[in-house]
Amino acid sequence: MIPEFTASVGAPRVAGIEFPFGRPLGLPGDRAGQRAVLHTALEVITRAQTPGTVIQLPFTWPQSPRDARADPPIPPPIVQLIKRRPWLAVRLLARDIPEPVSPARPDDGQQP
Amino acid sequence: MIETLAGGQPAEHRELAKRVRSHSFVDGPTRKLVRSWIEREPAHPIPWTPLTKPLSACRVALVSSAGIARHDQPPFDQERERRDPWWSDQSWRPIPLSTTEADAGIYHLHIDPRFGEQDLDCVLPLRRLQELSADGVVGGAAATHYSFMGYILQPRQLLASTAPAIAARMAEEAVDVAVLVPV
Repeated sequence: MIPEFTASVGAPRVAGIEFPFGRPLGLPGDRAGQRAVLHTALEVITRAQTPGTVIQLPFTWPQSPRDARADPPIPPPIVQLIKRRPWLAVRLLARDIPEPVSPARPDDGQQP
Repeated sequence: MIETLAGGQPAEHRELAKRVRSHSFVDGPTRKLVRSWIEREPAHPIPWTPLTKPLSACRVALVSSAGIARHDQPPFDQERERRDPWWSDQSWRPIPLSTTEADAGIYHLHIDPRFGEQDLDCVLPLRRLQELSADGVVGGAAATHYSFMGYILQPRQLLASTAPAIAARMAEEAVDVAVLVPV
């Protein structure tokens, strides 16, 4: 999706694919395409010989960026907040994240 | 292979950040944000466990950041994120191999969930993994797979408890290969 971002946080082996957000394996119902993507991504573990290797997978999304665009049904809360208070964008860009404003729930860990 | 990066030096991060411009499916504000974060990311030691057997002998587990929870599990906490947009639910869910879109919902507020809700394999390819296992490409599919919700600005809990708990569960199930699937 954005393999540079994944590589920057120290992932040992990265398979890059230029697909739109929300469907990294491919379109709904495209079993052959999904399978080819997973198979090729799995092969990265045998192809990568050095920590931090990024291998770009040879797949092309069948739609243009405009046709592939699919936003969440409602803008994410942080997007709505920045629209209301644009000056907070600086904090977001700098990853200067405020501490939580509401208390953590007691069951805030695993929830199987 | 297009490149090999090791060491995570700041200069390399600047170079990585520049390349984000080339992604045609990433909108302008997201590119700007990701570039800024890559440039600020400190250098990390890169963990490395060599593969000691062929993929055809490896048990594989998948990890999706789509925020998938089965209907018999608590959903990821979207309400608290709506109240505090800087916060994110950093818990995790074990997803049994037999799970399909009929059994689970997607609780990530930053993606269009319809694709994964229509076909779970778009975000967590459990059926495709079982096919590859049946054909001998991989040695097997683990009994359990995993999901967390990928919008995390401050991954303190993710690193301190969620990732170690998932890794421990994988070790219990003798998983050889973990595949993280971002959304």
